[in-house]
Amino acid sequence: MSIILEQLLNGLTIGSFYALIALGYSMVYGVMKLINFAHGDLFALGSYLGYTLLVWSAGAVSQRFGLWGGMAAALLFAFFAVGCVGVLMERVAYRPVQKSGRLPLVVSALGVSIFLENLIMAVWGPRYQAYPASVVPTYTISLGWFHITSMQLFILILSFVLMLILYYVVQKTTFGAAIRATALDKEMATMLGIDVGKITLFIFFLGPALGGMAGVMNGMYYRQISFVMGWNYGLKAFTATILGGIGNIPAAMLGGLLLGLVEMFGAAYISSAWKDVFTFLILILILIFRPTGLIGEKVAEKV
Amino acid sequence: MNKRHKRSQLILGMVIALFLAFPFFSNFYWIDVAFFFGVYALLGLSLNIVLGETGLFDLGHAAFYAIGAYITAILNTLYGIPIVWLIPLSALCAGIFAYIVTSPIIHLRGDYLCIVTIGIGEIVRLALINNPFGLTGGPNGITGIGRPSFGLFAIDTSIRFYFYVWIILAIVILGLVRLQRSRIGRAWNYLREDEIAAEMSGIDVRHFKLLSFVLGAALAGVAGNIYASKLMIVSPDTFTFMESSMLFCIVMLGGLGSIPGSILGAGIITVFPEIFRVVANYRMLFFGGALVLAMIFRPGGLWPRKREIAIPNVRSAEEAEEMIRPVAVDQTRTTAKQSLNGETSSFEKHILVTDKLTMKFGGLVAVKDLDLVVGHGKITSIIGPNGAGKTTVFNVVTGIYKPVSGKVYFEGKDITGFKPHKVASLGIARTFQNIRLFPGLTCVENIMAGLHHRMSSYVFSSIMRTESQILEEKWAIETAMYWLDKTGLAGLSDELAKNLPYGKQKLLELARALSSSPKLLILDEPSSGLNDKETEDLMIFLENLLDEMDLSILLIEHDMNLVMGISHWVVAMDMGIKIAEGRPQDIYNNSRVIEAYLGREE
Amino acid sequence: MKKAWFCLFIVFLFVLSAGAVAAEEKPIKIGLQAPITGQWAYEGEMAKNSVEVALQMIQEQGGILGGRKIEIVVADDASNPRDSALAAQRLVSQRVAAVIGTYGSSVNEPAADIYEASKMIDIGYGSTAVKLTMAKERKYFFRTCGRDDTQGQFFSEYAVGTMKARRIAIMHDNTTFALGVAEEARKALQEYLDAGVAELVFYDAITPGEKDFTPILTKLRETNPDVWYFTGYFPEAGLLVRQGRELGIKCPFVGGNAAINEDFVKIAGIEYAKGCLMTQEPMPTDLDTPKAKRFLELYRQRHNTVPTSPWPVYAADALIALTWAIDKAGSTDTEAMLEVLRTGMEGCEGITGSIAFTERGDRKGIIYKMYVVTGEGDMVVYQP
Repeated sequence: MSIILEQLLNGLTIGSFYALIALGYSMVYGVMKLINFAHGDLFALGSYLGYTLLVWSAGAVSQRFGLWGGMAAALLFAFFAVGCVGVLMERVAYRPVQKSGRLPLVVSALGVSIFLENLIMAVWGPRYQAYPASVVPTYTISLGWFHITSMQLFILILSFVLMLILYYVVQKTTFGAAIRATALDKEMATMLGIDVGKITLFIFFLGPALGGMAGVMNGMYYRQISFVMGWNYGLKAFTATILGGIGNIPAAMLGGLLLGLVEMFGAAYISSAWKDVFTFLILILILIFRPTGLIGEKVAEKV
Repeated sequence: MNKRHKRSQLILGMVIALFLAFPFFSNFYWIDVAFFFGVYALLGLSLNIVLGETGLFDLGHAAFYAIGAYITAILNTLYGIPIVWLIPLSALCAGIFAYIVTSPIIHLRGDYLCIVTIGIGEIVRLALINNPFGLTGGPNGITGIGRPSFGLFAIDTSIRFYFYVWIILAIVILGLVRLQRSRIGRAWNYLREDEIAAEMSGIDVRHFKLLSFVLGAALAGVAGNIYASKLMIVSPDTFTFMESSMLFCIVMLGGLGSIPGSILGAGIITVFPEIFRVVANYRMLFFGGALVLAMIFRPGGLWPRKREIAIPNVRSAEEAEEMIRPVAVDQTRTTAKQSLNGETSSFEKHILVTDKLTMKFGGLVAVKDLDLVVGHGKITSIIGPNGAGKTTVFNVVTGIYKPVSGKVYFEGKDITGFKPHKVASLGIARTFQNIRLFPGLTCVENIMAGLHHRMSSYVFSSIMRTESQILEEKWAIETAMYWLDKTGLAGLSDELAKNLPYGKQKLLELARALSSSPKLLILDEPSSGLNDKETEDLMIFLENLLDEMDLSILLIEHDMNLVMGISHWVVAMDMGIKIAEGRPQDIYNNSRVIEAYLGREE
Repeated sequence: MKKAWFCLFIVFLFVLSAGAVAAEEKPIKIGLQAPITGQWAYEGEMAKNSVEVALQMIQEQGGILGGRKIEIVVADDASNPRDSALAAQRLVSQRVAAVIGTYGSSVNEPAADIYEASKMIDIGYGSTAVKLTMAKERKYFFRTCGRDDTQGQFFSEYAVGTMKARRIAIMHDNTTFALGVAEEARKALQEYLDAGVAELVFYDAITPGEKDFTPILTKLRETNPDVWYFTGYFPEAGLLVRQGRELGIKCPFVGGNAAINEDFVKIAGIEYAKGCLMTQEPMPTDLDTPKAKRFLELYRQRHNTVPTSPWPVYAADALIALTWAIDKAGSTDTEAMLEVLRTGMEGCEGITGSIAFTERGDRKGIIYKMYVVTGEGDMVVYQP
């Protein structure tokens, strides 16, 4: 029993990383109909930025603001810095290509992805970097036979809070309605007086920013970061996005959490080496039987 | 024209001469680079079939490449089968593999297809690493693969490999160019440009999508074979997502559906990183940046395909008409006309009959228990306010939607639930409310879509240019020219459809529908967007058609002048229900119809 | 028409580049083929650094052939067989005297074929697959690193013989190296299994690049092993140890020679890294030879760290072996160098000890020892 519970908890933790990254994919897809292949690399960039802040002059930030303060500083720094990179990316690489259709956009996104990955390598070097143990809290909370580390609890709470806020903003506020309207029909939204430019700016800030934050959390949780890690997480989160239903924010969250669980239980009860094969098989099966993802809405093609 | 032709031939000759001479004044390193250029050109061309010609979003193409390479490696190392024999076998296996894995997912569109192909690519790579049945050698891969040889002549040096791959490439290019300019290549392009319009023109979507995957995979399999025999080792780290992305970039850099473009793209992808070897650590950084820049400044690719149809012996319009007539109007159909005069069953009088047709979307009932009858040789109109379910009726009849209940009979045959291309090939052609042309194709090519299902040449005959295929092509082009003429678009044959003004686009769509010599023509608001004069012309045109060919027409129209002017029978619908039908003047005065349009008078 | 010129331009580029490779005669050029970009870029970077440090050491000692300059020509193979073939062909066309490289057996394979065909000596530094030397007769291929089987055998004998472990768990990461060692360890274990003195309770792979291994570790915990051998690399090893200990796996952890280094300690955290064992050739940190000390000193000076994996040091050794051969042969004539590498290596001291090769080209006399991580994060020979 406790094993299953532990697996569940681990699945949810890794799932919340996926969910946070998937949100960025989904939001960007909503406004631009673009699979942003560079998104995983923004996540990696976030974890490198957080790392840099935390080790900066021998952990000065953590010493000044305490353990949790240092963490908060790293998270916020990555949030804003990666958000700005996201906006820059949209301006430089996507906006000028957008009018030419979707396929050139995809190539542009692949280009940005290659560029970012190699930029990280050029700046921080190809070596693996490790978040120092001294900047991360390491308590374990035990309730009888049930254990949870403070970092795990922190990640779960923070990502759920973030998702709730986002859910509220997108589903319940006027601004959220404007975002959803833009996602549904950009031209119509423009005609109704929605500032699509502003929405796009917001999305390209928030999506990458959340990914960057997830990068820092990931670095703190596992401590080890590398410049190639973006691709793996990017692919998984993208899978999660499609699994839930692309362009739909609650669906991205659900897809992320679900994928985390599928991976955990797949590795535990089927085979560790084959688990990604099963993950992709499940994805393909779902798409065959529910082509719009689990809770994506069916959009009938206008004939 | 002729001068240009000569000059491009001269340049082609120079390029070939340079390629031939190249290995003799270069070193092995650049010869090997040129070899891989050739392999990537093959791969680029193979993906170009899927992504470029057919517009299928394939980001897992390395899987097919891997299958070819591993089949070669396994069969050569285990059973000693010579590499050269394995070329067709690798192609076959990769093709079969593609057929098996893509047939359940071929209906997916755009990004969903993209993620599934990524998934397939990853599954294949992971499976290779996990060494199923001890066949793939796990992460180490398979070593000790032999070299290709033709009798005593072994391909074992860099120079020989260079010629080997480029000769194969030349053959492949020749085949692909022919395929591109055939019924098959056009069918793929129609799918890329507008799937629904293609389907309604009689193209079997599923079949041609699968065909493009299978052919693309087979070609990638050939590339895999060549790759394996050159390196003498295959290992999973060659067939990564990165490799698939690179192939994707090759096609996009060159230009969708452009054969020289794909080759140029392959050249850039292989040569670019080599030139930048000097800055080792940063070369991929530059590469990523260059991809973005290329898409900003040349989004259509560096060498996009120029569309032009080679017209064999252009005849004068009259001559063409002479020639086309007997073909365009099918002889067999005269029997139907004759029987009109005699004793006939109701199905012979009514070309289309629907029986209690019902269509729902979720909870919304769009059409309810509709009985519709279209008289043979007559013009029948459906009128009704917006949202009455008129277009839905068309979509059900033409097979785009499957009805919830009820039947559709065409010429007495139950065609309920038939796929659109099947419906089209039975003799129903249609136009759309919002014009659906193939915007990136020329007018002639647009019209030739309607002829697709009346042609029969396939891959082999197209590549071999058999006599029957040449004749068929000639017939198709001339028929298309005839209809172009007939609809008043003469002289626009090589113009891209998207460059036409609105009114001409409507005519082009009509020409496309007519070119298939339909028995029933379904027109969805043919006069919308036309001015009075144009509407008038259209009416005359339609009435003339009825006299000239054995044709029945079903149309949706809001323009009452047109409806009342040419219809033999009018059906009025409101809220999915037929509220009245009869001769035009009866309907014109029918109180329920007036009520539906104007609201109930208090 | 414009586009046709574009095509010509590409061809022109070929011609230009081909012509540009005119060799300069003066310095002796030695090629280094390594993954400078791609997934294993950090290995490539360290190999390059190590070779440069070794070069500095050689020059400090007066150089070779009366102080002729040595130039290292780096070729990136991006850890991919295609790039490897091109990198090899490029080094061949640049007429280097001999080549050091490369990292990864499946990447080394096509390159070794090209060097063989071009009659160029190639000393591998990070390609340990047995079949690289045993499946095919290669006259020009050598390697300074050990082979998978030596390490695998060492582990099995040590675990059953010295540690008296009965329940043995082996884990790898499906990379060529880790799988090779794991397979060889399993093979060597077979006789103990047959004799019934040991049991292989766990044999499975993780996916490199992943970060959460709790499911497989939970499975491992169920099997209750006496010793747990992981043959993969340190980024995963660090995570495995930490996550495993947190899950309550208490048995000794033994890493292969790529699993444990400074970064491993950082990732696992010292509290968990302490007491971890590793199967390892004598390490430079452990070797008391002046060469090893000087190497580490210089490396630290230049890069403020030491190599985090064993392979770069073998790249340095490969350079030492090559310069030794050139010096002894008196020229860069390949056949003469070959003769020295085959028979005249007596007295050639590398950073990891004396260097000599078997007739197949494998390093002679590679021995393994068991090392342990101390409470300070250092690695010392393990005394049970």
